Amino acid sequence: MTPSSAYFRLNLQWYWVLVLAVAVGCSSRSDSSSQKKAESAPAEKAATDAKPSVAPATASKSPAVDEPKAAAPAKPFKLGDLIQPFTPPPLAEIDKTAGWIDNPVLSGMEIMRKKQESLGPPPVSIATALSLRNDSPENNAKILGTLSRLAPADGASVDYEATLVRHTSGDLKSSNPLLQSSITEAEFQGLTSTGLLTFDQDMRDFASNDSVLSWQTSKDHLMDKFVLRDDLTWSDGKPITAHDVMFSFQVIMTEAVPILAVRTGTDQIKWVQAYDDRTVVIFHKEALATNRANMNFPVIPKHVYEKSIADDPTMARSEYHTRLEDHPIVGGAYELVSRVRNQEFVVQRRESYYMHNGKQVRAKPYFKQVRVKVIEDFNTALLALKAGQIDQMELRAEQWSDQTNGDDYYQRNTKVTGPEWTEFHFTWNLKSPIFQDKRVRQAMSWAFDYDELLKKILHGLYQPCRGTYHPDAWYFPKNGPQPYHQDLDKAENLLDEAGWIDSDGDGIRDKEINGRRVPFEFTLLTYQTETGIQAATLLKECLQKIGITCNVKPTEFTVLVDSQQKRQFDAAMGGWGVGTDPDQTSNLYATGESRNSSSYSNKRVDELFKQGRREFDRDKRAAIYGEIHNILWEDQPLTWLFYRNSFYGFNKSVRGYNFSPKGPFDYSPGFDSVFKAAAAP
Amino acid sequence: MSTIPQLEPPSVPPPTTPAPAEVRSLGYWRETWQHFRRRKLGVIALAFVAVLCFIALFAPMIVGTKPIICKYKGHVYFPFMGYYVRSWENPIFLKDRFRDVYSTALKAKDPESWAIWPLVYQDPYRRVRDGEWPGQRGNPVGTDGSPNRINWLGTNQQGFDVLAQMVHGTQIALSVGFVSMSIAAAIGITLGALAGYVGGWVDMLISRLIEVVMCIPALVLILALVAMLDHVSNYHLMAIVGVTSWTGIARLARAEFLKLKELEFVAAARAMGAGRLRIMFRHLLRNALAPVLVPITFGIADAILIESGLSYLGFGASPPNPSWGTLLHSGRIAIQQMWWLILFPGVAIFLTVLAYNLIGEGLQEATDPRLRQAT
Repeated sequence: MTPSSAYFRLNLQWYWVLVLAVAVGCSSRSDSSSQKKAESAPAEKAATDAKPSVAPATASKSPAVDEPKAAAPAKPFKLGDLIQPFTPPPLAEIDKTAGWIDNPVLSGMEIMRKKQESLGPPPVSIATALSLRNDSPENNAKILGTLSRLAPADGASVDYEATLVRHTSGDLKSSNPLLQSSITEAEFQGLTSTGLLTFDQDMRDFASNDSVLSWQTSKDHLMDKFVLRDDLTWSDGKPITAHDVMFSFQVIMTEAVPILAVRTGTDQIKWVQAYDDRTVVIFHKEALATNRANMNFPVIPKHVYEKSIADDPTMARSEYHTRLEDHPIVGGAYELVSRVRNQEFVVQRRESYYMHNGKQVRAKPYFKQVRVKVIEDFNTALLALKAGQIDQMELRAEQWSDQTNGDDYYQRNTKVTGPEWTEFHFTWNLKSPIFQDKRVRQAMSWAFDYDELLKKILHGLYQPCRGTYHPDAWYFPKNGPQPYHQDLDKAENLLDEAGWIDSDGDGIRDKEINGRRVPFEFTLLTYQTETGIQAATLLKECLQKIGITCNVKPTEFTVLVDSQQKRQFDAAMGGWGVGTDPDQTSNLYATGESRNSSSYSNKRVDELFKQGRREFDRDKRAAIYGEIHNILWEDQPLTWLFYRNSFYGFNKSVRGYNFSPKGPFDYSPGFDSVFKAAAAP
Repeated sequence: MSTIPQLEPPSVPPPTTPAPAEVRSLGYWRETWQHFRRRKLGVIALAFVAVLCFIALFAPMIVGTKPIICKYKGHVYFPFMGYYVRSWENPIFLKDRFRDVYSTALKAKDPESWAIWPLVYQDPYRRVRDGEWPGQRGNPVGTDGSPNRINWLGTNQQGFDVLAQMVHGTQIALSVGFVSMSIAAAIGITLGALAGYVGGWVDMLISRLIEVVMCIPALVLILALVAMLDHVSNYHLMAIVGVTSWTGIARLARAEFLKLKELEFVAAARAMGAGRLRIMFRHLLRNALAPVLVPITFGIADAILIESGLSYLGFGASPPNPSWGTLLHSGRIAIQQMWWLILFPGVAIFLTVLAYNLIGEGLQEATDPRLRQAT
């Protein structure tokens, strides 16, 4: 039994931001900095962006250490100034009183292997699976059921010399795990980082046995103790220690550091204390069910940043930090070897990751090199896939149904699909006088033609949405709501009730608001993609029938996110992915939360989110989140449209991919289990 | 002054032998036309534009889902007017849960009603659904909408009829050209005339203004406008193209006025007491107009290209916008399957722009004596 590699997986709350980025194949640039709290000063971001592209460099060990020459910040730099002072008790005392309960320390690969063994032999032979056309759910099950199988534990049939060429649609903006903000950076961290916690295909948390020896939680849920392995090293050869974990926490909680995303959740931690090189205890502010997710923050090497960070808290401006950006010291299975802006970055297998003192201590990562190509245009990317220039890409719905059925596609590739818990919706701005009334929002939901959207525009590939949670999730309410269908009579009755009638006889409904007759006219912001525009024009067509004017405005993605963040919109199309815990939706629907762009506010929902966070019993939590789901469905702050599936194209030589509710890579083992077969059949 | 002096070659030889009938000078415009007529391509282009104008003008009667004329609840209406301007459609069809589908709602709401329908029952703004029109199936979606008996030029991914969009798109293409160039011509000719005729500091000021405006890139201005406005209509594009593209016209008009104002007929007019404005717009303008028409026709072609280009890039008028460029845009995404989304609008744009260029070229040669000699 070889242990599997453990990449640091992102399951913090800000994952929501990331998924928004890939919404309906929306614009590739998923700059979500605006989503974050106020830390990211624009100037600092610009500095990060403005860094020149780098010529490909050969193996990067440690960069030559220059004295940082950044200008001194106005305010004296203080590490961890956002942390409340706290004196952690000695370890002996903690061990006495904590009443430690052991938590699982597992290997994602083993979990998946066991799961697959219980399924029995693959449905068809590999040769058959590769010859099949994915034109029906049955064939999809056959292809996925066969090609998803892991490589044997001894690594036979794996081509360890292989290079995998992946596709991403946005550039890698920062290689520093603390500064990440987009999907591409998350993928980069997935390849190069290591961490304490991860989660499996069914979203169950566990500590990775690649980096952790033991993980214990105190009886009162206020402390977690980790003992790290002693054979894990950074790419410069120094060991990864508990002090790195503590230092990383302090950096994240430093005001001067422009953390874009990873501070959310981490700020719920009271203190992180390293008692020796291998033992670290995390103290929580409160006993919350979400603490596990909060502990999942990235780790950076203390010895690399300790001295330089005070002089350049941006971690990106000084010469020293600039060099680190292109030659980062990483702890994961792969290390960065070259990075060309807006073209690609290349990582290569790190020997010091799986070998320690001449002995193999971890599973050897399956690829010699992983090349991630940045191709913004999905049509261009598909051409590259067909030509064999890339090995894998996410397909758009229209590509799946129309452009990947011919011999030109199947010659080199196959494709698979799996359900993903990503929902899409129209957001109504409750601050706008039009959408304050619940009846108006319900009328919008009744007016929309879901059949036309799902069957015609979306080619019948997606499932109708039944609210904010996915029906397969454990926290979806029993007998949950059924999807809306178009009923214009109901919609018109509700509008009449709400006082929106055509009083001046011009055919457009109007209402007196604050002494002024306001016509029912609003602007709907939508993605610039075909699907986004088509869904929006369909709503326009439907509303026109009931005397409402809807102006469709396709908007660039960053602007779309920004106008929702600033609440400067009437209605907007959007999509949310899923986190590992249902509590992570609280920042979408709880009063005053940053990403609650519809400004929805419901006391009961706020109350329930608080309860759910403090409840540890899964059934009781399910009931709480079920109630939230039903209240949201009744209030319709959003008109939910559909759940998007994952569609992926893979080269025929690639194997071992499985889907989770977060797609094929973002869980454990995820990308770790993907390999290229040794001999092409 | 009863006769209008024309710019005639002064050396028209007097007939040596008395002509049997009176030979009248043709006049500048008719002569231009005579020369233009000799150029076959120019005439064909002109005919083509005339046909396009016809199509544009009557688009909702050619393709549409709203009756040209109908009797409903005792009154006669013209619902197709709604395609020109939304508010021209009688509000009676927007209430009482009529819901925009005339083919079924008319009979359902008023069994006595009757209607005369457009030639083709298709809509540029929405997909025609199953059962909407007797004997006509709903439009196919995705890549299945290749040209067929019902959708002559096919449908786009969303199931909108391409013919309907092409026909209604003609309105956009032509109006963008005409409106923007009318704006440009109005500004350009007025300023050019002033600069050329008045001269002095006025000329100096206007010439500098022209230089400044020439530096403003229309495309960037349009992109900025699109980003700012909530609802972008083609009129916004027309206005911007209009107010940025008058410089060429102004320069030409100025040059013509400079040249013409020195001629004898102007002196004659002035001697007879004609005012400045009268000389400028009554005597000079009509003589200067023909050369000025040349940049206008080229400008129309440019404006059409700008509009299609913007729509192609997704920066055009707010959707749904049945422009030729929009069709190209949707074709780009499925270029390997849906050739009809590229071919038809592509050919239409090409031919229209070519036609305007041919007309412009013809005009140029017909009005310029030096070029005229060559033909």
